[in-house]
Amino acid sequence: MAAVPAAIDTHDLSKRYGRLDALIDLSIQIDEGEIFGFLGPNGAGKTTTIRLLLGLLTPSRGRALVLGHEVAGPDASWRREVGYLPGELALWPTFSGQETVELLARLTGRPALWRAELVDCLKLSAADLKRPVAAYSDGMKQKLGIVQALQCAPRLVLLDEPTKGLDPLIQDAFYDLVRKLPGRGTTIFFSSHVLPEVERVCDRVGMLRRGRLVNLGSVRELRQSLPRRVTMVFADDVDPSIVNAFGDVRILGPRRVELHVAAGQVRALVARAASLPLEDLLIEAPSLEDAFRELYR
Amino acid sequence: MTALGVLLRYGWRRHRIPLLPMIGVILAFEFVMTRMAPAPEDVNWMTALLSAVPSNLLQIAGGDIAFSTRGVLAIGYGHPFPLILLSLWAVRVASGTIAGEIGRGTMDLLAVRPVSRWHLLAGGYLVLVAGVVALVAAAWTGTALGLATRPIGESARPFAAVALMLALLFAAWGAIGTMVSVLRRDAGSAIAWTSGLIATSFVLDYLARMWTPMAPLRPFSLFAYYRPQALVISGISPPDAIALAAVVVVSLVVAAAVLRRRDL
Repeated sequence: MAAVPAAIDTHDLSKRYGRLDALIDLSIQIDEGEIFGFLGPNGAGKTTTIRLLLGLLTPSRGRALVLGHEVAGPDASWRREVGYLPGELALWPTFSGQETVELLARLTGRPALWRAELVDCLKLSAADLKRPVAAYSDGMKQKLGIVQALQCAPRLVLLDEPTKGLDPLIQDAFYDLVRKLPGRGTTIFFSSHVLPEVERVCDRVGMLRRGRLVNLGSVRELRQSLPRRVTMVFADDVDPSIVNAFGDVRILGPRRVELHVAAGQVRALVARAASLPLEDLLIEAPSLEDAFRELYR
Repeated sequence: MTALGVLLRYGWRRHRIPLLPMIGVILAFEFVMTRMAPAPEDVNWMTALLSAVPSNLLQIAGGDIAFSTRGVLAIGYGHPFPLILLSLWAVRVASGTIAGEIGRGTMDLLAVRPVSRWHLLAGGYLVLVAGVVALVAAAWTGTALGLATRPIGESARPFAAVALMLALLFAAWGAIGTMVSVLRRDAGSAIAWTSGLIATSFVLDYLARMWTPMAPLRPFSLFAYYRPQALVISGISPPDAIALAAVVVVSLVVAAAVLRRRDL
């Protein structure tokens, strides 16, 4: 049986603008059915990567395959199975919401099988869709952007900052929807600044810094690779240097210290703590936000 | 419906609102020209003026024919008013086709669909040409209606050749505007460049007719290939039509080649 091609497969994908390297030698494979989080600060190269994957930009070097098709090739038919929500969404102000999604579905050339469900999930009413887009709030435009990206049941969808402008309730509904999509055969490339949402919905993350991929792995692996934050509260006065060997100690208050301990050292620290007049011990796994801060410090 | 068909409908939806009043205005203008044109019996006294008019000014007016019923009606097709209306249409649609979509950000939604870049270009250009044809047809209809309601011994038929060449002239300007649009990243700069080219070309043609030292430069103006008075006398000149058609082809080929490679 022939191997299923990766949803996204890039080899040394690079983009240079004049003297600026926007993306350098990106090589990633994203399997079908994955929810892949793409993280990085502003200007890291996230949007450039997405635009290269969609063929909106020509790579300076390297290649990209999307759903097994060469992005730079003359055949555009693979785009029929791809949805895209731009980070800076622009719509035609004189078109109604309905006209907008119908035009884009017709251009996609596939029936808008999921439109009704999306409209319902995102709480867009029929009256909303009849109004011209010029009268929409930013949140409404974002909802329409999500509908146009997903309405034709794509095999791959690239979402650039998808929850921008959505209220918390709609964000929750959107996360639930995203988590269901791999079960329907959709791969999600999820670019975001909002780390808790990436942690909440993504299986694997890639982190970019100044155009280079600096980390790639599952959210769990990434969190495990980082030191644990340990808070110790003592019943009596204790010399904090007694636990110095496990990490840099920070004194938070009288008889209360905090230290960052490598995952492999936690067991030894707990054993050492057992011999101390310990009143409380709190061991916290790092969040993705901690990982992000650690990488971009 | 094919992708091109969808793009044509999209273009029509975007541009129909300004097009409809423009059609009405150009039709009314040519209709009014038929009311103002002198009847054949009134023309004789005008010929007496010809001897007093300097030859270069006579050339600008279109030569001897300008002082005839047909000549005055032909002036209606070379008058700045319809030329400005057609320029507005050509510049608006051409600039909006690529540069306008990129500048607004909507190109991201169109170009990620299974539509080739050539289709995006062709869709915009065909809408532009359809609008030019509609405007020129309205102008000719204005002339035909006027001549039908005011019998002055002239037929609307010779003006069909003028209308055809007028359409070809603005199809050429539209192709140049589309090429400019492909080279720019926002509608504003595309509008400025295309409008500047049209205005420069118009002034060049005018000066080349007025001032003998500039006459050799006249072939560099597209307006040199559109001469309404000559068209009503002798019909379409094949070299002029070929020159304008060549501008259309070359501009679109360059636009397609650039668009194929450029970042959106």
